[in-house]
Amino acid sequence: MNPRCRPADHLSRRALLKGALATTAGGVFMNWGDLFGSAAHAKDVAKEQKSCILIWLNGGASQFETFDMKVGRPTGGPLRPIQTNVVGAQICELMPKMAQQMDKVAVIRSMRTSQIDHPGGIHLMHTGYGPSANVRYPEIGAVCAKFLGREKPDLPNFIKISSNGDAGAGFLGPNYQPFGLDHDGRLPQFAVSNLDPKIEANRNELRNFAEDSFALDRKVEVAGMHREAYESVRRLQKTLKVFDIEQEWAKHRDLYGDTKIGKGCMLARRLVESGVAFVEVGQSGYDTHADNFAGHKGLVPPMDHAWAGLLTDLHQRGMLKNTLVVWMGEIGRTPSINNRSGRDHYVRAWTTVLAGARIKPGIVYGETDLDGKDVKDKPVTEGDFFATIYKSLGINPNKENFQGVRPIPLAPFGSNVVEDLLA
Amino acid sequence: MPDLNPMKATLHCELVFEGAWTTSVAFLGSGRRLAAGNREGVLLVWDLPEQPTKESPAPTRKLEGHTNAINRLVASDDGKLLISASHDKSVRLWDPTVEPAGSAEVIVDSEQREREAKKNPKGAALSKPGVKIATQQAQHVFTGHRAWVQALGMSRDQKRLISGDDSGLVCVWDLATRQQLAKWTGSPANWITSACLSADGQTAFVAEFCSPRGSFDRPPAQVRLFEAATGKETLDFLKVLYPNVKVRDSSYGYATTWGQFVAQGLVAAEFSPDGKLLALAQGGETGTGKVHLMEVATGKLLRSVSGHQSGACDAIFSADGKYVLSVGRDTTLRICQVADGKEVAQLGKPRGGQFKDWFHAVALSPDQQWLAAADISGRVYVWSMG
Amino acid sequence: MNRLLLSLLFVSLPLVPVRAADPPLRNCIDEQVKAAWAREKVKPAPLADDAEFLRRVHLDIIGIIPTYDEAKAFLDDQSPDKRAKLIDRLLEHPRYALHQADEWDQVLFGRNPPGYETQRRPTFQRWLQEQFAKNVPYDKWVADILKAEGTTVDDGPPWFLAQYDRQPEDAAEKITQTFLGVQLQCARCHDHPFEAWKQVDFYGVAAFLARLQVVQFDKKNNELKAMIGERNTGEVLFTGPAAQQTPGKKGEPIKPKFLQGEALAEPAPPKDLKEERSLPASKAPAKPYFSRKDKLAEWITAKDNPYFARAVANRVWAQFMGRGLVHPVDNMIAKNLTHPELLTACAQQLSAQNFDLKWYIRELCNSQTYQLSSTGEVEDARPTWFERARVRPLSAEELLESWRQATGYDAVAAKAPKPPQGRFHGVTWDYMVRFFGQPNNGTGNFQGGLQEHLYLNNGEVSRLIATDKGSLHQTLLDDKRPWEERVDQLYLSILTRPAKPAEKKKFAEYLSSGDKPAERLREAIWVLLTCSEFRFNH
Repeated sequence: MNPRCRPADHLSRRALLKGALATTAGGVFMNWGDLFGSAAHAKDVAKEQKSCILIWLNGGASQFETFDMKVGRPTGGPLRPIQTNVVGAQICELMPKMAQQMDKVAVIRSMRTSQIDHPGGIHLMHTGYGPSANVRYPEIGAVCAKFLGREKPDLPNFIKISSNGDAGAGFLGPNYQPFGLDHDGRLPQFAVSNLDPKIEANRNELRNFAEDSFALDRKVEVAGMHREAYESVRRLQKTLKVFDIEQEWAKHRDLYGDTKIGKGCMLARRLVESGVAFVEVGQSGYDTHADNFAGHKGLVPPMDHAWAGLLTDLHQRGMLKNTLVVWMGEIGRTPSINNRSGRDHYVRAWTTVLAGARIKPGIVYGETDLDGKDVKDKPVTEGDFFATIYKSLGINPNKENFQGVRPIPLAPFGSNVVEDLLA
Repeated sequence: MPDLNPMKATLHCELVFEGAWTTSVAFLGSGRRLAAGNREGVLLVWDLPEQPTKESPAPTRKLEGHTNAINRLVASDDGKLLISASHDKSVRLWDPTVEPAGSAEVIVDSEQREREAKKNPKGAALSKPGVKIATQQAQHVFTGHRAWVQALGMSRDQKRLISGDDSGLVCVWDLATRQQLAKWTGSPANWITSACLSADGQTAFVAEFCSPRGSFDRPPAQVRLFEAATGKETLDFLKVLYPNVKVRDSSYGYATTWGQFVAQGLVAAEFSPDGKLLALAQGGETGTGKVHLMEVATGKLLRSVSGHQSGACDAIFSADGKYVLSVGRDTTLRICQVADGKEVAQLGKPRGGQFKDWFHAVALSPDQQWLAAADISGRVYVWSMG
Repeated sequence: MNRLLLSLLFVSLPLVPVRAADPPLRNCIDEQVKAAWAREKVKPAPLADDAEFLRRVHLDIIGIIPTYDEAKAFLDDQSPDKRAKLIDRLLEHPRYALHQADEWDQVLFGRNPPGYETQRRPTFQRWLQEQFAKNVPYDKWVADILKAEGTTVDDGPPWFLAQYDRQPEDAAEKITQTFLGVQLQCARCHDHPFEAWKQVDFYGVAAFLARLQVVQFDKKNNELKAMIGERNTGEVLFTGPAAQQTPGKKGEPIKPKFLQGEALAEPAPPKDLKEERSLPASKAPAKPYFSRKDKLAEWITAKDNPYFARAVANRVWAQFMGRGLVHPVDNMIAKNLTHPELLTACAQQLSAQNFDLKWYIRELCNSQTYQLSSTGEVEDARPTWFERARVRPLSAEELLESWRQATGYDAVAAKAPKPPQGRFHGVTWDYMVRFFGQPNNGTGNFQGGLQEHLYLNNGEVSRLIATDKGSLHQTLLDDKRPWEERVDQLYLSILTRPAKPAEKKKFAEYLSSGDKPAERLREAIWVLLTCSEFRFNH
């Protein structure tokens, strides 16, 4: 053993897995509590675990009303830019709080993707792949759960708060299925069991037997999913207190803003702190084919507050270096403004933002032309984007999964990591 | 004042005002003068020809100063005071009768030129000179608004003005002294979508709205009357209409209840000349945007009239109080009788595809002889009513 | 896909009369499926045993598991043609119409239909059941839906178009996807990037529907009363790609045009025709001088429509076999087609049989393909080559009614002084719809998650485990046979199969340990009601 290594380096994923398998009861950190003997130590290790929080702008936020303004151009619209804490980088006046966090993020103004409608776009920007009738691609959350998460955790590794992705675990299988919370981050209905624990344990054992019996003759994946989901629900019972955020919310309300998205972002931080590999927080309503400016004026400020609060909080807790925060929707919006005062779908040139983990902070990458109609410089495809995300989380984007015998890399074949975005 | 006969409307002329959406229009007195503003802050004055014409008359004056969309225009009956409210957070006061200060070249047919240039790329369509017209600056600017000023209304005695912005701030101004009389703010995160004053300027109406901020994250709309001088609430229309709804926070259930009444915001409001009624237009993109006629004394809904597919944009009373005139997202101007709600005339015709262009604003001259609608496609239609 | 491929996929079906000497469709199915196995080097599963077949065919045809007595009788029956006889019996069962109407109601409306007050449509559902009960030909009832005559509450059919009040584009999208198996929605905003569809194809179909309007009356029995009116004037205006739609652009009225076919020949309008913008509410709309809607209905359901027969043959195939011969069923493009000749054969014969869906279902269920076992190593729930039976989740309706049947809840409730009304009593139906209403992710893949288990574990399912006299619970408690034998009955009642020896042993041990057999039996019933074997039709 190299004496200069820090102990955490030796706590390989494998070792953690063993810890996970060795214990079955207890609180949030009990999965690995036995390896360390102290919850504080466990928290330190949790900090070293890479995680990802996705802020999802469902419907497709407008680049023109956020990070790529074209003031004075026919495509510009009525909103105006403001200065930020990064010299030369202006953003929309709807985001005064993020303007003070620009030194923590990397803006990609040169996204060019391939799916222009919502279902395709939602699939694409959750998986890196267009929808296919033959391959069930896993969402980024399932990939993170598999490569960053602990096995058979009490808390699911892939948690969604008001999310819209519908690909789920795909071919990665039932272990990486998402767990969805209610819109404001509350536990879903019927989350709490009222049964006598002894009776429940007994019937659980009998139920396992029944599932084993069915699985003797059938390997069909859906049955596995059904069974795994049941077991996750059983494990979840031990972690319910993590979701009880009211006390903490009272302290952080001002930081995140008193909105659903604010609450969702604080819960996301709390979950990541508790060892969850991936949390998606969604905000809906960006599909502003009509009244785009009013729509963004309603939606962006609470999101700005929540997102800036999240980055501040992660930074203050020293968690930002291991937590990637992704900001995106499924599509961008058209340069032209239609006769409904709206903007339609556009994927030829639009914007996403990354922060934390290995992402280089305080930069703007790529550029669009004068009217925002096309990428002028350094186009980034969905593949490049996911490859960069995976690499920043320490996951090899070329790593292949298998659906049957068919190898499927995490990021589509031919994607390039945008090294300039990585520190 | 001659009676308004809606059946007699004939198209007098079509003013070309291309380059950005035409958003606002007002008659300057009872002559043939009007002002119109657009989405980029351009504010022009036209002197209309005596006879109907197919030609588009050129503007005669440019009012300079706004840097962003002009949302509303109101004018005094003598045409000596024009007031504009803008996205640029300012409210400007103009006297369009003063000697102009300078001159400028204005191009109002940019889209026609582009079409010509496409047909004939070697032609000079794009380099043709524009029209040279007089310019002037505002006489006064009301500052203090913190966001887009979308609501503007003047009392009929023309002594007071109310303006409201998207930060929720409402200001009442004394027009003689140009002083602020009162100000107050609405619910956090709400926008002031419309405001108006009673004839004597004592009562203020204010409507608030904000589009949904997240999935179920929607602040409450407000539809209220206030004492204009103090900002003290005197009537809450939603409480009258929905007495059983207790929750006034951002609950979705509440939103869906009042949603039937406010649609995507009440975007225009005006007191009737006798002060007994209020006309409130349902705006934003909504199924059918109606105009509510409210009883000021009781807060009750008298009836909902008109109906613009996809939403209304503006609504006014005729000077005699007999009609409500409204425009909307169906490229029409509709005239309805106040007494029974019957629609008696419809001007304009949808063009376009599934979604129609909007008539963004409507104006009637004080003598009821001229009617105008601002069309977002860069046109102002003027009808003579004689 | 270019136009050539498209024309290959949707070749017109020659109208071949079916002769008595022709082999039944079921044979053709098995031959074609077998040929594909050989070509794809796929090893098929063995035939399903009687119990497996019994549960599957009950759920597929009548939407509920068999009772204990029914199961016992079928398993004891020694006649060689008992499966064919069971299929015939189920096709004549009163629940046949109920269940098939459930299935099609979901196709036509889904859980969250668009439009005003469309969530509650009992008249439509009863009307649809009647069509299945009388075995009205599919083309006939589809034409009725599209012609939409009468009122929603007195007749039913107008309900379908009532979803799309003045929304000709939405209606065009739904109609072509549902009845023709083609997806035009991309062409709504731009020419389809990969398929042959142009925007004008889409608007050509929408033009048929441009004059439709929902005329509302007062409600009747809490159900919206409405009629579908058709105005004399009104066009769909086309303004090019959505992205280029700017103010001031004049739309071009698009004339009705059959998909990939001719423009509609319209008579000249009467001279004194006035422009109609809107039909008044609460007044039965007059017939227009010429009905575009009726022409569309006739073209869609015409015998020689190249899409119609294929779309329904494929959709019903998928309903019983797990996936379409073109998959997904509402996107019938060439690259999604696995068994071209078989699809043609099914469509031709179904058309030749005058779209008799009962005949078609009989053929499908009698095929060996349908009767294969679902056992084996394959993980895919819906095997591409049909080499093994598909595994599909039960719908909310199937689950609740099967649960109640299994536990004897219904038997007990029927004897109550005030028997419960309606179909979906016992639990909160809204929860069932929320947690089990859409078991698929939209493309047919099972998407169960943690939520449904929270409901199963902590929710209302236990309410259905009746303990009164006549319930499964009480019957087994009163029974004095050894637990092993009683476990056999437990399995047959819930899972429609006898218990295996290991299961008898395990359950008997569980049930006889401790001093609370009643409590333990309740939990044992819960286990079987919630396990994968019950959750899926396999």
